[in-house]
Amino acid sequence: MPVSRQQLLDWIKPDKPTVEELDCLRALKPGDYEVYSEKLSMILDEAAEVFVKTGVSSMLHSGDLVVGLYTAAGDMVVASCGTYLHAVTAQLPIKYILHAFLNEPSVGIREGDIFYCNDGLYGGIHNPDQIAIMPIFFEDVLIAWSCAAVHQPETGATEPGGMPASAKSRHDEGMKLSPIRIGENYQLRADLMEMMENMISRAPRMQVIDVRARVTAADRIRVRTQELATIVGARLLAGLFRQMLINSEEGARKRIFGWCDGTYRAVSFADTLGRVESLTRTMLTIIKKGEELTFDFTGTSPENEGPVNAFAHITAAHMAIYLYAYAFHDLPISSGTFAPLKFIVPAGSLLNASPEAAISQSVYACYQVIVLAPIVFSKMMYASKQRDLVTAGAGNNHTAPFIYAGINQYGARVADLLAYPFNAEGGGARSDMDGVDCYGFPYAHYGRGPDVEDVENETMFLHLFQNIMPDSGGIGKFRGGTAVQTMLLLYHTPRVAVSTMGITTRVAVGQGLFGGYPPDIVPGIQVAGSNTLELMNAGAEVPRDSRELASKCSITGTYSFERTARPSRMLAKGDLITAIGSGGSGYGDMLERDPELVATDVRSSRVSLWSAKNVYRVAIDGKTGLVDQKQTARLREEERQDRLARGMSFEKFMKDWSTLKPPADMLSFYGNWPDASPNRLIIRL
Amino acid sequence: MKRVTITEYLEIDLATDRWHCRSCGYDLISARQNYKEGCLVYPRDPATVYDPQIKGERYSFAPDKSVCVFVEFYCPGCATLIETEVLPPGHPPSHDIEIDIDALKKRVNYGQA
Repeated sequence: MPVSRQQLLDWIKPDKPTVEELDCLRALKPGDYEVYSEKLSMILDEAAEVFVKTGVSSMLHSGDLVVGLYTAAGDMVVASCGTYLHAVTAQLPIKYILHAFLNEPSVGIREGDIFYCNDGLYGGIHNPDQIAIMPIFFEDVLIAWSCAAVHQPETGATEPGGMPASAKSRHDEGMKLSPIRIGENYQLRADLMEMMENMISRAPRMQVIDVRARVTAADRIRVRTQELATIVGARLLAGLFRQMLINSEEGARKRIFGWCDGTYRAVSFADTLGRVESLTRTMLTIIKKGEELTFDFTGTSPENEGPVNAFAHITAAHMAIYLYAYAFHDLPISSGTFAPLKFIVPAGSLLNASPEAAISQSVYACYQVIVLAPIVFSKMMYASKQRDLVTAGAGNNHTAPFIYAGINQYGARVADLLAYPFNAEGGGARSDMDGVDCYGFPYAHYGRGPDVEDVENETMFLHLFQNIMPDSGGIGKFRGGTAVQTMLLLYHTPRVAVSTMGITTRVAVGQGLFGGYPPDIVPGIQVAGSNTLELMNAGAEVPRDSRELASKCSITGTYSFERTARPSRMLAKGDLITAIGSGGSGYGDMLERDPELVATDVRSSRVSLWSAKNVYRVAIDGKTGLVDQKQTARLREEERQDRLARGMSFEKFMKDWSTLKPPADMLSFYGNWPDASPNRLIIRL
Repeated sequence: MKRVTITEYLEIDLATDRWHCRSCGYDLISARQNYKEGCLVYPRDPATVYDPQIKGERYSFAPDKSVCVFVEFYCPGCATLIETEVLPPGHPPSHDIEIDIDALKKRVNYGQA
């Protein structure tokens, strides 16, 4: 049976050192730590390379993966990512295996075993994220564990794509494996591989190939670790592992101590839960005292009947994405970092739902954790030595993943995500520079977008355009990085099933920083029965911007402007559909932005003339593209005077403001207004 | 005691326990209160920030003001935009920075800030 959700959360922290580990640690010689910790990192990097080259799905090729090495007790020692998300959670099924199977005669843990898991109740994120786990033995003693995890774009759920928007409970979400042994004596079992092919019948070939890729990567770590143990001995490794955990913890504590004690808060809102529209709220309060942090998510909206729910350990794992990349970026990626951290995630909130809840879109439930972390930490760190790490959020209005399924032009059954749009989101603006345009993926900072040519070769689609989207970077003194807009044309096959999943179309999920704005939002755009192919065959001009297409409708066809979460539908050859990413949030007062930078942005189509004039208040000659400095100074002074004129005292503002409320139909799943406390019973069949 | 920088546009005077604007020095409010209560406030329609592009549709390229407002906090002295918070209409602004002033004073005395 699964352990409690609190137990999973507790398992994120490292176990206390054993007497033997401390003995081994004290026996380390000068240079051992430096040489062999680097050696371990190289082993992990090698395994990550092997992983990418042996798998087939787009998320693997784009780098949304982790390979990790864990102590014999299951604590993460070092990882190569990918996404730090799985770095944390992969250790939970290891600890479950130790907890449930080590002394269970019918299972046990033996050399050559290969375990597999993808169920959130046992430590996973959501069931597309599948983890291969191998115990590492040396001279008949369990000395470590290895794992390899990556998102699988199909799970055999009620809809293609592994994250069904219509799911109402865990029973709608397809294959969910508790930790299970799928191989013995270093051999995968054919019967269990057959079982997976049977469960994932929309894309069986992809499932089998990617299972083998996970196992191959985990096994590479196993082989290299055993080779190293042969050279240096198991005792050195045990001491080294513990030293790495201790260094991470001490480094994290020292850094936290340097920040001002206090309480820091931020809030974010979304407007979509699977198939329905409703506001939801996510609250993050960080209490910093001494060298410890408490993350409190009290005030977050209740769990719901849809798939946008998570468990507490999943919430904590999303915080790791920020921590390992920013606040603790220079510390070893080990579970030691989590020792000074405490998480309060109220049971019954959408961040800590009931075990029967659908959680296949848990990564969307937790998206606001990714939004809020940089905001709250930046307010905590600005006054410290870590000011260079202060940043607004990246890709801050959530890019809706685009899923397609069908028979491709080579006759193979496929179901996959288009990896480009969300691997080219805008970076957050910083205290000293703009966010990086098309920087990557907020869930996996090292993610990379595949080339258009490769996508067109492997999928059914042509790209009408794929380019930087104007005005997609959050406005501010420093601009958020721009996003990428893609317009897809179904070309190679007569039809394909597609869907997208998002959490917002009408509200900005993101928050800017220190006066900066969040990025813009986008609708889902589709043109059915378009004449695009006729225009292209005739050599006629076609649009190169989704905003131009939406406003001028210069291609004929039936236009739809929808939520970014678009239910599954069939496209026919010649139909157009968008896949648009999100920019990063802005930093600082936009009236302080260098006018020459605004002009440069206009000339490179990153910012529109409309935005330059109406928001940045910069006068730019439409013909020359040059700044009129005098006119700009006048426009900006006018805006400052306008602010003083229209700005109200806080008391006056609150008197009017507190009487307002969003429309009732947008509060169906919010909880009580405005504190989001639970207001109804949820029953799942 | 000195003024300690807290954000891009805010500092705290530890002699008086007051929030000040870093751009013009304006005395905003007690540092033991929410600095936002010392600012001028304006609820901005997001469609004045991002051009919606599409007319007459429920979904466009700008957030919908019926569910999403950019609440701006200005310095009453120099009109600097100190902070923007994205909120549904009627939702209370957050108390985003609540510094432990006494702990900060100790840190300053020990040369740690």
